[in-house]
This record gives sequence, C-alpha cells and structure tokens, in this order.
Amino acid sequence: MKNIGYFLREAGRIIRYNRVSNIFSFLGTGLILFLLGLVVAVWGISSQLVVLLQQEAEISAYFDKSPENPEDIINSIKLIDGVWNVRYVGAEEARVRMENILGDESYILDLFEKNPFEPYIEIRIHLDQIDPVLQSIKNIKGIDYVRDNRGVLEQIKGITRALEILGYLVIAAVSITTLVIISHMIRQGIYHNREQIKTLRLLGAPDSFIGFPFVLVGFLLTFGGGLLAAVLITILINRGYGQLGGTLPFIPLPPKDRLLLGIVTLLLSGSAALGILGSLFGLSSISKENHG
Amino acid sequence: MIKARNVSLVYRDGTVALQNINLDLQLGGLYYVIGPSGSGKTSLMKLLIGMEFPTAGFLEVMGQPMRKRETAKIRKLRRDIGPVFQEFKLISGRTAIENVMMGMRFLNIPLNKAKELAKNTLSRVGLEHKTYTLVDRLSYGEAQRVAIARAVARRPALILADEPTGNLDHDNAVKIFTLLESFKDKNTTVMITTHATHLIDDCRTATILRVEKGKISIERGGERI
Repeated sequence: MKNIGYFLREAGRIIRYNRVSNIFSFLGTGLILFLLGLVVAVWGISSQLVVLLQQEAEISAYFDKSPENPEDIINSIKLIDGVWNVRYVGAEEARVRMENILGDESYILDLFEKNPFEPYIEIRIHLDQIDPVLQSIKNIKGIDYVRDNRGVLEQIKGITRALEILGYLVIAAVSITTLVIISHMIRQGIYHNREQIKTLRLLGAPDSFIGFPFVLVGFLLTFGGGLLAAVLITILINRGYGQLGGTLPFIPLPPKDRLLLGIVTLLLSGSAALGILGSLFGLSSISKENHG
Repeated sequence: MIKARNVSLVYRDGTVALQNINLDLQLGGLYYVIGPSGSGKTSLMKLLIGMEFPTAGFLEVMGQPMRKRETAKIRKLRRDIGPVFQEFKLISGRTAIENVMMGMRFLNIPLNKAKELAKNTLSRVGLEHKTYTLVDRLSYGEAQRVAIARAVARRPALILADEPTGNLDHDNAVKIFTLLESFKDKNTTVMITTHATHLIDDCRTATILRVEKGKISIERGGERI
C-alpha cells in the first residue's frame, strides 16, 4: 500500500496521455452500461408484473345447475393444492361487476328482462399449477365448465421470457464490448509506455508493480462509466415512475428504491469487475509479447 | 559474483557476439570492459543483466544461472544489480528524484527511507539542486548522473555501466568514471564498459577485460593515479 499514491499518479498520467480516447471510452462504457441498466430495469418491472399476475391468476368455475349448497363445492375446491383463494360470486354481483366494466354502456344490460348472469366461483390459483388445478376442479361434482385466462398469462410469460433472453444477450454484449474497449485502452497505454515498462523490468520490478497502474486505469474508466450509467438510470427511473404512476397507475411496478438499489449495485459492481478483468486481459496479451 | 564457462552468444541473424568466454569475477572488484565499438561489450552486459541468454556455455551471476527458463528468478536478481544504460533510460515526465526512487519502490524499503536514499545519492552525484527538476530539462551530463544515482541508490551488489560517458568531453567523462568507481566497496562490484580506452589509462585499481571480436582477455589490474 506504500505505493498507492504513486500508482494513482501513474494511472492519472496514463489517462492524460491518451485523454481523448480515454474520455470517449469512459462515455462509451457509461452509455453501454446505461443500456444494460435499462434492460435490467425493464426486466425487473416485467418480472414483477408476471409474479403479480401469477399470484393473481384467476379462473372461474360455473355450476351445471344452480347449486342448493355451493358451500360444499367451495370447500372441495379450497382443498385442492395450488388454490389459495376461493370466493362465491352470486348472479347479482356478477351483473354489478359487468356494469362496472361496461361503464357508460351498461344500459344495454337493461335490455334483458332477467339477469343474464349466473352465479359462479372465483378461484385464485398459482399459475404454475394451473393444469392439475383445472383438472381437479373439472372433476368436482356440480361443476359444468371452468374458464381460465391462461392464454393471456402465457403470452405475458412469453414476453417476459423473451425479455429475459434479451437481458442475457445484452449482459453478454455489454460484458464483451466493455472488456474489448478496456483491454484495447490498456494495450494502447502499455504501447505508449513500453520504454518505461522495459526500464522497470530491467530494474527488476515485478509485473504486479508494473501492471497495477494499468489495472487501476481500467478500473477507473469502467467504474466511472458505471457511475455515469447509474446516475442516468436513476434519473430515468425517477422520471419514469412519476409518469407511469400518473398515466398508467394499474401497472404493478416494483418498489422504486428496491429496483434502483439493485440496478445501481449491479452497475457499480459489474463495471468494477469488468474494468479489472478488461485490464488483466490487456496486460496478459502484452506480457506475452514482452518477455524479460 | 560472475562465473562464465565457455559462454557464447550468437544472435538470430547469425552474428557471433561473444565466443567461448571464461570469467571468474569477484565481489568488490572494479572491472573495465574495453574494446572497439561492436566488439561485444554491450552483449556481455546484456548477458549479465539477463536481456540476452548464452547460446552455449554456462553463465552464473551472484549464484543465479542465467537461463531463459529462469526469467522470473532473473527478474529478482536484477534487484541486486544497478544498471546504467548507454541511453540512460530515464523515465520522462518525472523529476530526478522520482526516477531515482523508481528503482526502489518495489523493494522492501520504506518510502521515507527510499526518499532519503534518493536525496542522498542525488547529492552525492552533485545534483541536489536538481532533485525536483524534470529529467527532460536536464543536460546530457546531468541526466547521466541521475541514471547513475538510480542505479546505485538502492545499494546493489553489482553496478553495470554500459558506455556511461557517451559523448562527454574528457574531463566530464573522467568525472563520471571516478564517480562510478567511488561506489565500489567490499560488497559492491562495479563493471564499466567503454570504448574510450585512453580515459582509463590512469586507472590502476581496475581489472581490464579487453573484448575483441567476441573474445575476452584479462589485461591488468592497477590503481587510478
């Protein structure tokens, strides 16, 4: 640690020597990491949406005739594994619900002389157990028909899966690009300082001593990019939450602080790790060329 | 200190730099390696510091066999060697003291002690007034003395100076030789190469190694008068 001041000064010199390239690599890394943060944010929000939708997965079971005692059927359904809430919806409540859905158009229900809705059972289940639950409910005596909204849920799950794959691709792309940028910058720095490196080797300096300022440069550039990305993503999420909360309040967003903490932690730790790795790649490729 | 048995060095292009060299140099000695340009003096220095490796024979420096496969150990060995290069190899953009300290930062010397050693050595080579001057702003002779200070400040067991007088005039060249000679003691061997044989005529304490067409002969030891 006695040389930390020297290492920082050397890192500063290396950065200043190639000022323009380093500024652009800092900005480029920052924007790439911002893109990563963006994808992770969308991923996080959509995952939250799916989790909530999975929790809210709801099916409706209709009776083959008006039951005299629906409680027996309800109790049978409650015992099924994967069911977490069962509720009886009477014909009148079903009508009220439809009126609420139709809003101003609800007058069309007045055209019916009798209430056209039947009582049914509203069942909330775990989406991943939808098949056995549906089968079990269909087998219950007194149940005529079970309606599920699996199609919609499967579509949303598909979109989330696609986002997840996209996320992994973006992570891979960001990692590779950052590694290439940083290792290239380090190689360039080593090239510009090759005479100094040769001299230090002839004086007996170990590779760790020679290489540390370069690792520091890679770390500082990438971590700086990570900080920039974290600032940008924080601004974006704060604004986005404000706007989504106002215009699309029904979208179940994850808690903002938790989402931000996760993304900022990922960006900072990821950028630090990528910076160090990129520098080490840059150093290793050069040390192969310069023996002695 | 230095043991060579039938050492030869042939470069990749076929140039024979040194052939069948046998040497037994002792700790605490003063050695001048003389010979015309291209005779093999610098090649010998390169072998001793591990920049080149013998293509035949066996070479040992301070107990360390100089073989390519032992580059890690040779890197450590270099910490006991104080090299003064023909072209100085000072690190530009740094001050004189930063250059001198550069050779000590990775050694087990506390920072304050290293700084003190660097200042004392710069003072000894007559550059205390240039301690914090960028080496890029030093004259040729001053830069040469910074290079010497960097080599000797860390108290190496072997000082290797390759053509240290370069283009210096007679008086300044003798001053540099005298300065380098002054670092010789019972724990420090000094080896200096030069093609300017007339400058060492009055040095009687040194052992002269004459290199000619890649072969070495030991001429005399004496005393500078």
